[in-house]
Amino acid sequence: MSNVPILSAHHLFKTFTLGGDSLAVLKGASLDLLAGKTVALMGASGTGKSTLLHLLGLLDSPDQGTILLDGKEVQNLSQSASSKLRAEKVGFVFQQFQLLPELSAFENVLMPRRLARGSWWNRRKQEQERAKEALESVGLGNRAKHRPTQLSGGEQQRVAIARALISQPALLLADEPTGNLDAQTGDEILQLLLQLAREQGAACLLATHSAAVAAQCDSTFILKNGELHPAP
Amino acid sequence: MKLFPLAWGYLRTRALLLLSAVAIALGVAVLFTVLAVMNGFLQELEQSVRTESGDAIIEPLPPRYGGGHSLEDYKIALADVPGLQSLEPRLNYYGLVGRRGARALSDPRSTDLSGLLLQGKENCPPWDSPNTSLPPLWIGKQAAERLGLLQGDSLEVLSFQQQGGKVATLRATFQIAGTLQSGRFDHDLDRALVRRADLADILHHDPGFSEISVRGTADVDPLLFTEKLERALQTAGISTASFPLAVSWRRQAGSLLRAVEDQRELLGVMFFFIVLVAAYQLVATLTLLVTEKRRDIGILRALGATPANILIFYVALGGFLALAGSVLGLCLGLWASNHLETIEKWLGGGDSLFRAEIYHFDHIPVAVEWVSAGWLVGLTLCAAVLFSLWPAWNAARLQVLDILKKR
Repeated sequence: MSNVPILSAHHLFKTFTLGGDSLAVLKGASLDLLAGKTVALMGASGTGKSTLLHLLGLLDSPDQGTILLDGKEVQNLSQSASSKLRAEKVGFVFQQFQLLPELSAFENVLMPRRLARGSWWNRRKQEQERAKEALESVGLGNRAKHRPTQLSGGEQQRVAIARALISQPALLLADEPTGNLDAQTGDEILQLLLQLAREQGAACLLATHSAAVAAQCDSTFILKNGELHPAP
Repeated sequence: MKLFPLAWGYLRTRALLLLSAVAIALGVAVLFTVLAVMNGFLQELEQSVRTESGDAIIEPLPPRYGGGHSLEDYKIALADVPGLQSLEPRLNYYGLVGRRGARALSDPRSTDLSGLLLQGKENCPPWDSPNTSLPPLWIGKQAAERLGLLQGDSLEVLSFQQQGGKVATLRATFQIAGTLQSGRFDHDLDRALVRRADLADILHHDPGFSEISVRGTADVDPLLFTEKLERALQTAGISTASFPLAVSWRRQAGSLLRAVEDQRELLGVMFFFIVLVAAYQLVATLTLLVTEKRRDIGILRALGATPANILIFYVALGGFLALAGSVLGLCLGLWASNHLETIEKWLGGGDSLFRAEIYHFDHIPVAVEWVSAGWLVGLTLCAAVLFSLWPAWNAARLQVLDILKKR
């Protein structure tokens, strides 16, 4: 693995205005993520973990600071440009799975590939093959036609992991991926997520409240008072 | 195309979307049927006028206005007109007739006399009746029914003619040789066919024709053909520029055809508003869908969908509903056009709603014109896309974080 970071965030500042009051959530947070390494992001509720994930995932822009993804500054891209970059380089796993209820597990996994650049018609067969493999890699090859409502919570999160990794993203962002699962299922899901992220060489940032979860990552950062500190 | 499975998923699970398509289908079906009927009216009316008149009619001037040319004079004058196929002299005259068995003007039953246009033509149906010396008359079917006339009845026709500065009464008795059915109710009600020579004898008419029907070859343009006829007549000194005698079939029935054309256009515009209202319903339906599916929009944006992807998705969904509705509407309209008589009877509880006395035809004329149908589908799609833009624009403008935070 290269020591050049996939993602570098420097001195990120973000302030929200709520009811006329300013709330500074990030006050100069900095972070480097390396390919194939998993990093846990811990902090109390409301400290800005999700905000930081949104900034790094190009869903929001910082007030100050720079974000370099694969060596390119990305913090001030247009909505359209950041969407395209997200489709290619960023995978998300959410606490509440966020699957599209009208689609089957297979179609949910395939969706990021449908949104990727280039003619869908020309590449549809290889993409479908890829989705099938992704579903098999999370152990759901036999549930491809099932809709999210026909799957358990753990199975839904497996589908979400397959969807996040189908494009082989450079960066995988997971926001409390086991928060909605029981302990045993959560542990299985975590193992799967970390294993696949490592296999694919993705830089993985995982927000969690659980020290046990964080212990399974390569390193841990704690977000406190708007700044990131390496865990002792 | 990229988001087709999602669109299909929405269509499968939301009856409201399908209802929008059905609303458009009903609008398109009604308009398609109305246009088919109006086109049918126009086509059959044109065909009827053209069958009756030929490509052009020459209306000779009476002798006292410089007319009085013989049929031979006309034949010579028009012989070199390109495309000329035939000339048919006709003698038209009006007469009054009473009910069956009534003697016109001398019978109490003849107080309700009916007017008939007696058309004296060369080509009449075969007639061979050795039992009578009366000349034959073929009467319109509606007139025969109204007057109670049957084949073989004798019919006295009363008319008037100017003779030596006085109006003289003319009486002639014909034998009903049969009935005629042209499909035009008004023609079948007030027309009768007689042999031209018989009518000329009764009227002491010289030269024996009051108009000449001119037919051209199949490829002639009636208007240009009429102009050429008129030029030939003027060259021969039969007509002058200030008193043209040749009239095209279209000009002859100009006001009637124009009225039907205007009515067709007016009905087309009015009924298109039904389609517009149905298409406008897409605004409400798609707005509802965008509100309900905000989370999906957020997920798609997080997965890499651009605002343009979202905009195109909702516009395409609206366009697809309009297309499906239009195709369904065309099928319904086509079915309705082919079963109008059944629908008419069903709507009228067994009675006919289409009154031949008012609409001229004894059946509902229908002519499907696919160019009009193409325009109808095209305009419906344009309207649907236009109406889908607003909800689609709102969907594209949603901020992904606002959606995901409000989960």
